[in-house]
Amino acid sequence: MTEATLILVLVIGTALAFDFTNGFHDTGNAMATSIATGALRPKVAVALSAVLNLVGAFLSVEVALTVTNAVVKVQDKSGAPIPELTDNHGYALLLIILAGLVGGVLWNLLTWLVGLPSSSSHALFGGIIGATIAGLGTSGVNWNGDGSKLDGVVGKVVLPALVSPVIAGVVAAVGTWFVFRITAGVAQRFTENGFRWGQIGSASLVSLAHGTNDAQKTMGVITLALIASGHWSDTGAVPFWVKLVCALAIAVGTYLGGWRIIRTLGKGLVEISSPQGMAAESSSAAVILASSHLGFALSTTHVATGSILGSGVGRPGARVRWGIAGRMVLAWLITLPAAGVVGALMWTVGDALGGYAGPLVVVLALVALAAYLFVRSRRQPVHPGNVNDEWTGTPSVSVRKQEVAA
Amino acid sequence: MIDNLHFAVEAVWKVLLVGLVLGAGLPAVFAVGVRSLAWGTGGAAEVAVDSPPHPVGRALAGVCFLVVLAGIGLGLTIVIAAGQGKIVSFDHVYPTIVDKPK
Repeated sequence: MTEATLILVLVIGTALAFDFTNGFHDTGNAMATSIATGALRPKVAVALSAVLNLVGAFLSVEVALTVTNAVVKVQDKSGAPIPELTDNHGYALLLIILAGLVGGVLWNLLTWLVGLPSSSSHALFGGIIGATIAGLGTSGVNWNGDGSKLDGVVGKVVLPALVSPVIAGVVAAVGTWFVFRITAGVAQRFTENGFRWGQIGSASLVSLAHGTNDAQKTMGVITLALIASGHWSDTGAVPFWVKLVCALAIAVGTYLGGWRIIRTLGKGLVEISSPQGMAAESSSAAVILASSHLGFALSTTHVATGSILGSGVGRPGARVRWGIAGRMVLAWLITLPAAGVVGALMWTVGDALGGYAGPLVVVLALVALAAYLFVRSRRQPVHPGNVNDEWTGTPSVSVRKQEVAA
Repeated sequence: MIDNLHFAVEAVWKVLLVGLVLGAGLPAVFAVGVRSLAWGTGGAAEVAVDSPPHPVGRALAGVCFLVVLAGIGLGLTIVIAAGQGKIVSFDHVYPTIVDKPK
């Protein structure tokens, strides 16, 4: 096996690992409210979401080959890698992608451990930006685009992150307020039953939209790697096997269910009832679809979180745990730089060692850290059996409290 | 930076408007449907325990739920069209599927 083949295999494996974490990180966006209100049993909810993600991933015939163009300059407009990076079967480009992916995966795992929802796309972008800065300098980053449309780090990442929770929150708050005003006094068996159906319908729409958007990103990254290494040349299509494995990876991840994040979203922010759940999911579905329709793509995670918060604000007398909301916003703010630092570090290590050793050490570091985070998570597991328990704090906080008590 | 801010502001109010109409409006219509259904069923479902059933309420509920279903249908169409490289256009008021502008 040559160096180039080795790094290609590692990139594909890490990309699929990222896709997998993307799946379980985002299950809660669509299904947390349905699980919290009991509209769907936990296992049924994640199975439904997984199937819809799988279907969604196959629905997208449109190729997303230019996915990295939003934030860095390693591809031209057609999606082909820039010529400076394609020597030695694209080794330089593949190292940047590999380091970036590792940054994204690690940030996803860390936020999952502490039960915080955070945008997987931002984690991926952060990692790739960091690796690009390390590898090509700050001029390799597309900060602002060319001014012809919303683009660059500012237009595609920073601005959407700032406005999406606010938009979704307002929509959900208004929706919730209307729903409670309109159904005031109606027997609860009618409201609960009726709104459960509404909730399942709107949550399904969110899952499907997620599948079409997010699986594409990994497909784009893998195909870019294949083009750079000379194994694929068509910039108008994604190889079928890439589509298949990406769809499967995100669906399996979704089915696994990020129970820690589902718990925070469903129980931590707001004590949610079916009417609130329906208002929240409808807001998420409408805002996600409207924004992608208008070319102002918003992160599913930020929208879903904003919606759930809004459903607490809009219900008279409901309690919102603003402390937890604050922690989430903090996590969103540091997603990009944190994943970026890891991406840059990984690129530096990989580049210093070079050859076979560089990429291998980077991936081994990922595996070791991932294993450590997984072991940590076993100290206080969250699973379908306890996901809806009374809220006592985000996982990491409780662990600390127990350690102090012991 | 300024360009991006400009584009963002332009997009934000549109997303907010569409979000409010569909994301808050449809749940409200659904709530009217639930309320009508309870009214139509009468008895213990309603505010007053001994209110009689009203068939009009059931019909009204049906209309509301159809409106909500149409909304979900529109959402599905947008998702599927986007996957095929198409876009749902509202140029003729009613939605039509057209090629995505490059």
